[in-house]
Amino acid sequence: MDASQFTFVDHSTLDEAEPARQSLTYWQDAWRRLKKHKPAMAGLVGVIIVILFGFVAPLFTSVSYSDQTIDYSNLPPRLTIYEIADDYYVFLTKDYKLLRVSGRGHILGRLDRIEQDAVNKLYTYSDGNLDVVLDFGYNLLPGKMDSPFDYSFTVDGPEVTSPAKKVFNKTYPAGSDSLGRNLLVRVMYGARISLTVAFVASIVNLLIGVAYGSLAAYEGGRTDIIMMRIVDILNSIPLVLYVILIMVLVGNRGLWTMIIALGSVYWVVMARLVRGQVLSLKEQEFILAARALGVHRRNIIFRHLVPNAIGPIIVSMTMMIPAAVFTESFISFIGLGVSAPMASWGTLANNALTGLLSYPYQLFFPSLAIAFTMLSFNMLGDGLRDALDPRLRKG
Amino acid sequence: MASYFLRRFLYSILTIFLIATVTFFMMHSIPGGPFTRERPVPDEIMRVLNEKYNLDAPLYEQYYDYMKGLITFDFGPSFSKIGTSVNDLISSGFPRTAKVGALACLLIVAVGIPIGIISALKQNRPIDYTVMFMATLGVTIPSFVLATIIIFFFAGKLGWIPSFGLETWRSYLGPVLALSGYSLSFVARLTRSSMLEVLRQDYVRTARANGLKELSVIGKHAVKNAIIPVITYMGPTVAAIMTGSFVIERIFAIPGIGRYFVESVSNRDYTTIMAITVLYASFYVIMVLLVDVAYALVDPRIRFEKETH
Repeated sequence: MDASQFTFVDHSTLDEAEPARQSLTYWQDAWRRLKKHKPAMAGLVGVIIVILFGFVAPLFTSVSYSDQTIDYSNLPPRLTIYEIADDYYVFLTKDYKLLRVSGRGHILGRLDRIEQDAVNKLYTYSDGNLDVVLDFGYNLLPGKMDSPFDYSFTVDGPEVTSPAKKVFNKTYPAGSDSLGRNLLVRVMYGARISLTVAFVASIVNLLIGVAYGSLAAYEGGRTDIIMMRIVDILNSIPLVLYVILIMVLVGNRGLWTMIIALGSVYWVVMARLVRGQVLSLKEQEFILAARALGVHRRNIIFRHLVPNAIGPIIVSMTMMIPAAVFTESFISFIGLGVSAPMASWGTLANNALTGLLSYPYQLFFPSLAIAFTMLSFNMLGDGLRDALDPRLRKG
Repeated sequence: MASYFLRRFLYSILTIFLIATVTFFMMHSIPGGPFTRERPVPDEIMRVLNEKYNLDAPLYEQYYDYMKGLITFDFGPSFSKIGTSVNDLISSGFPRTAKVGALACLLIVAVGIPIGIISALKQNRPIDYTVMFMATLGVTIPSFVLATIIIFFFAGKLGWIPSFGLETWRSYLGPVLALSGYSLSFVARLTRSSMLEVLRQDYVRTARANGLKELSVIGKHAVKNAIIPVITYMGPTVAAIMTGSFVIERIFAIPGIGRYFVESVSNRDYTTIMAITVLYASFYVIMVLLVDVAYALVDPRIRFEKETH
């Protein structure tokens, strides 16, 4: 065998045969996987929409969540308007207030009721120079039964009996509540309250839970047993009960009360999760190495153990936020939430309950907001679980 | 095995005791007594009231009386409903709450598990997508929203069910449905994912390879193992149903224990709050205990040397 039998290999083909792929960090890899997960991306978009809706959208409205105009109470988002004079549209509320509305759905003002004839069911309204007679006796008074319409308006010509059109309420796009407050703005503001409570409470939970769980697991032995026994006991109590008790105890019903109540109770879930993670991590060699090098216990926990368990922690945190929204709205619904005129989604739903049959739209928008938020966070959480923690991946 | 049950039982007793203690001290650390009003009550009346309800006694004595009361199931008088004892409230409210709650539990098990199984067997077919869509919707809608929707459509618009009370069988439909909605959806999802996992196991393949009928493969081998995680969820379900009763009973105007609780919270009726909290918590602890026992009996993999979590 001599050298002539050998040829040099062309290096360019070698490179092709073994393509060096750019190595991805944990986060790049997670992001790549998350992007492939369509529901998770939809969830992410949903979460961003909710956050923008709660924190950015209110900056562009000139109306405050507490502005009330009692004349414009309980207005629906769709208005059935009558054209009683040339280009003069009116809307009749369920409590017989007559509002002047523009043809495109802006509320322009209220007509005063100047005369009422309850026997013949005739009301006369005036805006100063135009008198309108409303006859609402149809289908109520003998002789006017079986008519195809319920109301008629008379200015000076013939009776106007059929509505001109249905328009979207431009002044109150989501309607107004019983005090004439703008529901859309209140739902936005409710988003801010609900999300703030959920985020801050989840962060409080995260901090307490991670510190508690990692300490218990790292120390092990008797410390672990006692700490976990406490968690077990807390965990065997319906937690909502304790949130309610704390709300009763603190009394003053602000935003922070709710955050404290939620934050002080729900960390047990996180503590258990972190403990489980740390227990399996702490036996690994890199922790032994860190110990051998004399790294301080605090640094081992927060520099080495917790960062390695960050995937499940983040997943659990994303799941905790919708749970907090849920609990917050629940507590607000039974009347222990933030005090008026502030409002969270739960308070709005609660306020809508009294007038449900007449004004169902007042329940619709807060409920939609809650359901949308829950759905978005849940979908994002599912995707994050797959992306960050492939071991937990479900079938 | 017996020692495991005994230990679990003792822990449950300890838990209930701690809950009662914490609740007592929480309620007694609230600034202002139960008779503090916006309009100050004359000192004389306040003294008599405090004396009547034994509120001027030292705290440890009150605590002792309260504990003694708990053991003998005497929760004392209600502070806001004059002339009524908390026992009266509980004995009138509890049967109604329990009836609705039990029916809801029944619905969850009888409907949630079968649709979860069907959905898993028909994976990625239209029926699976429909079930999963409904179930996802179910876990995103809070019970109070579901309840108001039910009232609005079925009681208000269609008039099929009464909107309040518990007089006829029809009046149970609304509250039971609203109460079980969330957990039903959750159980269906849980059963489905657990079933899918079990169906991939080797022993299912072995059972099929041995020529067993599909019905017996599913019924005898798959379902039996798939419902184990569902059993563990039944404890929290009871909690969800109990706390759900707070709003459901308010919306459907059922004079049950959940409604009394919400009323006592807004009236600052401390004896009622304490009694119902302890009652609910004990009930929950007992349910979790029963579920754990059932779990241990069903799943032979559970070891009894140490607690498994």
